[in-house]
Amino acid sequence: MRQHDDLDSMEQDDGVIERVAEELRRPLRVNAALFDARVMDEVLRTPSGLRARIASLVQPRTFRVSPLVALAAGLLFAVSVAGSLLYVLPASPRAVAHTPARTAPGSPIVQFGFVAPHASSVALVGDFNDWDPKATPLRAASTGGVWSVEVPIQPGRHLYAFVVDGTVWRPDPAAPKATGEDFGEPNSALTVADPGAR
Amino acid sequence: MTNRLLALLACALLCAPAALRAQDPRLDARLDARTRDAVVGLIDSVRAEGIPSEPLVQKALEGASKHADGARILAAVHKLAGELGDARAALGASSTDAEIIAGASALHAGIPPAALARMRASRAHGSLTVALAVLSDLVARGVPGDTATTVISALANAGAPDAELLQFQQGVERDIAKGATPAAALGVRAQSAFPRAVAPRTP
Repeated sequence: MRQHDDLDSMEQDDGVIERVAEELRRPLRVNAALFDARVMDEVLRTPSGLRARIASLVQPRTFRVSPLVALAAGLLFAVSVAGSLLYVLPASPRAVAHTPARTAPGSPIVQFGFVAPHASSVALVGDFNDWDPKATPLRAASTGGVWSVEVPIQPGRHLYAFVVDGTVWRPDPAAPKATGEDFGEPNSALTVADPGAR
Repeated sequence: MTNRLLALLACALLCAPAALRAQDPRLDARLDARTRDAVVGLIDSVRAEGIPSEPLVQKALEGASKHADGARILAAVHKLAGELGDARAALGASSTDAEIIAGASALHAGIPPAALARMRASRAHGSLTVALAVLSDLVARGVPGDTATTVISALANAGAPDAELLQFQQGVERDIAKGATPAAALGVRAQSAFPRAVAPRTP
């Protein structure tokens, strides 16, 4: 009984398959006007020229990268970031060049600079201010840890240094080091030319 | 009464020299009494010889700021007084204070007094302050003293302006910082900057 029912079902399936195949074999009837309009719409919707290039930049894409290449790119990025930070933020205090900025009545103005990102105070001391750490404090720039001051200095040879945080004496690495250390702390030498001299 | 007058007179006579000594409130405020008196005595003797005394005051104040003890301060001031005296003797009595101070720094760097005298002879009328300062700084950077003296004397004698001498020094220092030997840096800069003033050296 059950076997007889299976045979009937298979015959019904064959009829359905035959009808579907016959439907698919029929030529497709297309409304020509409607078809052309749809094709033109699609063409107009597709970007071309500059629009296509822009669209290709905006559209998200999927890249496939091997793990080795990804690791190398990551290392390169880390090294470049570390190098940039070292350049921008020096680890230890250092001086920037000092130059005779301009001439005041009587004495040339000399600009002194010092880089100390972590200092709370920097002072200039020398034989032009009685070596007094309170006489000539440097002003800190808003960023970068650069401290600077402009001082009128008489022409001639002078000795000077910087005092960081009131206790640490530092010579100016950008200037000639003076010979002899009478008191254990090295000084820098500064020569100011007489503007009136030839 | 007579004894009292004699005591006052003796006291006045003893105190007079001290009162006549140069008083400098900067030294009073930062040196102990013993060191201050010794420094002031040295300053008086130097001043009497026509030697600039302000460098001695500054040397004492430098020592005080660096918390050096009195003996060390006095030794440094005494040494500087000697160098100032030698510089004045080498450069001549008509030298300016700035020249004498720069000359003392050159002596401190190891330049012999005879070299200073030769520089003065070669440039009798122009200022030697910057030339002597440049000489001191070059020797401090490792340039041999005799070579530096020869080159700087030649440049000064050729009439090189102070600004060019300072530029010359900066150029030598840059070359040394890049790895050149101090003597080679000096020679190359001398020949390129002032080819007519300094004759090329034969190897």
